[in-house]
Amino acid sequence: MDRNPNTNGADDWHLTGDIPVEHGRGDPFAAAIRKTRMSMIVTDPRRDDNPIVFANDAFLRMSGRTREEVVGRNCRFLQGPETDPQAIDDIRAAVQAGDSINIDILNYRKDGRSFWNALHISPVFNDAGELQFFFSSQLDVSDRKNAESRVVAEKERFEQAVQDRTAELQTALEAQTALLHEVDHRVKNNLQMISSLIVMQSRSIPDESIRLSLKSMLDRVEALSTVHRRLYQSNDISRFDLADFVRDIVTDLIAAAGGKFDMQLDLNPVDIPAEKAAPVALIVNELVTNAIKHGFRDRGEGMIAVRVKRLDGHCVIEVADNGSGMRGTQPSTDRSSFGLRLIRALGRQLHANIEWAEGNPGTRVVLTMPVDHASEQGGNV
Amino acid sequence: MSEPLRVLIVEDEALLAMELEDVIAEAGHTVVGCAVSLEDARRLVDSMTADIALVDIHLSDGPTGIEVANYIRQATKSTVVFLTANPKRIPQDFAGAMGVIAKPYTVNGLTAALRYMEEGVRRPPPSCARPIGFSLAPAYAAAWA
Repeated sequence: MDRNPNTNGADDWHLTGDIPVEHGRGDPFAAAIRKTRMSMIVTDPRRDDNPIVFANDAFLRMSGRTREEVVGRNCRFLQGPETDPQAIDDIRAAVQAGDSINIDILNYRKDGRSFWNALHISPVFNDAGELQFFFSSQLDVSDRKNAESRVVAEKERFEQAVQDRTAELQTALEAQTALLHEVDHRVKNNLQMISSLIVMQSRSIPDESIRLSLKSMLDRVEALSTVHRRLYQSNDISRFDLADFVRDIVTDLIAAAGGKFDMQLDLNPVDIPAEKAAPVALIVNELVTNAIKHGFRDRGEGMIAVRVKRLDGHCVIEVADNGSGMRGTQPSTDRSSFGLRLIRALGRQLHANIEWAEGNPGTRVVLTMPVDHASEQGGNV
Repeated sequence: MSEPLRVLIVEDEALLAMELEDVIAEAGHTVVGCAVSLEDARRLVDSMTADIALVDIHLSDGPTGIEVANYIRQATKSTVVFLTANPKRIPQDFAGAMGVIAKPYTVNGLTAALRYMEEGVRRPPPSCARPIGFSLAPAYAAAWA
């Protein structure tokens, strides 16, 4: 809406007033108003209810009425059920104040069809400054208005589509998270059941050597359990800290062994990809149980040192003891040879280099494996 | 060792409950009952006295372990310790429980946790180190700090 009391500038009448014209048939301005394709009317506010006193042919075509049906009536017959009451109030206020107004308003033809009317109304004053008439022009802007409302509708439709899609993705993400938790829960429970089965079975076996075999198997399953217990504790489930689960595994094994072991842990944080965690855990389990079982045999005391650190894009895991050394071990027995095979196979899988050295006293095993983040991620793509 | 603990087990996995019974008995304590659901647990709690209740969160009737803990807190003087693969489900106040043993636990971890709980119940604060996989509730952590 554009309501401006000054657009009907007091002096602009000179534009037409200074041209010598005759009144009546030869008046070019009256002829223009009669014949222009733009709809125009003149109303007389001095008469009761400001009736139309002139309507051109374009107005009659636009409103779908005859001249007899419009002259003498107030032009509110153009209003209909969906005309904005606010727009009507604005027009009424301008007319009462003798102001001009520009406003888009929904109007109706005689047959009931609506159209958007870009309405202009301006007052006409005489030399004495007295209000004589209102001049009004109407332009059908339905195309523009419809395009506008289509744009608005498009935008709303688009926003709704984005909202729907976001909700869908959110639901999918929640479902995926729930699924992950469910699977995580089942894996943990199943690992717990596997250990329980092994423990219960081993209680019923009188043969010491079979029981020891089952105990080694339990240690391995528990090493995997420790990895899984740690796995979803962090928010990033794709990588996790080697130091955390090495500490858990070593501490648990030493505590379970009883006896007097001096445990020296030097564990620095080293992020490794989750898929490497299980093989690393199994190797650490073998190395530490080896140290406890073979390094000290029945002495039940000694020192075990475990170190984890990063070095030149590699992860170094060192397990050392001050036991009886490799000379004292018996690698030919089934249990230890299976343990060694496990270490070698898992080491190959990790592309790890494993060195065994005499520690004087004891044994020192150093595992070095690549954990370069950039090449890891590159390799996974 | 002090007077043996009377332990109530609330766990719907029969195998795990069986193994718990063995480990608890081996440690010299007494299992006073095994419940598999909320209703089951309520009935048992009403009919006996326990020092410790080991409570899984997922029971045969759904994730009702927290309700079990709340019931035990209101109806008895027993100390609850959760036993779950889902520690993140435990509310901030631990429903009054002493702590949680995260599954999967190791045999040694469980034995150590039993020792820790025994000291925590009989002569708190416990003198032994907090076992791996055992997290203390904030209220207990503050009291025993």
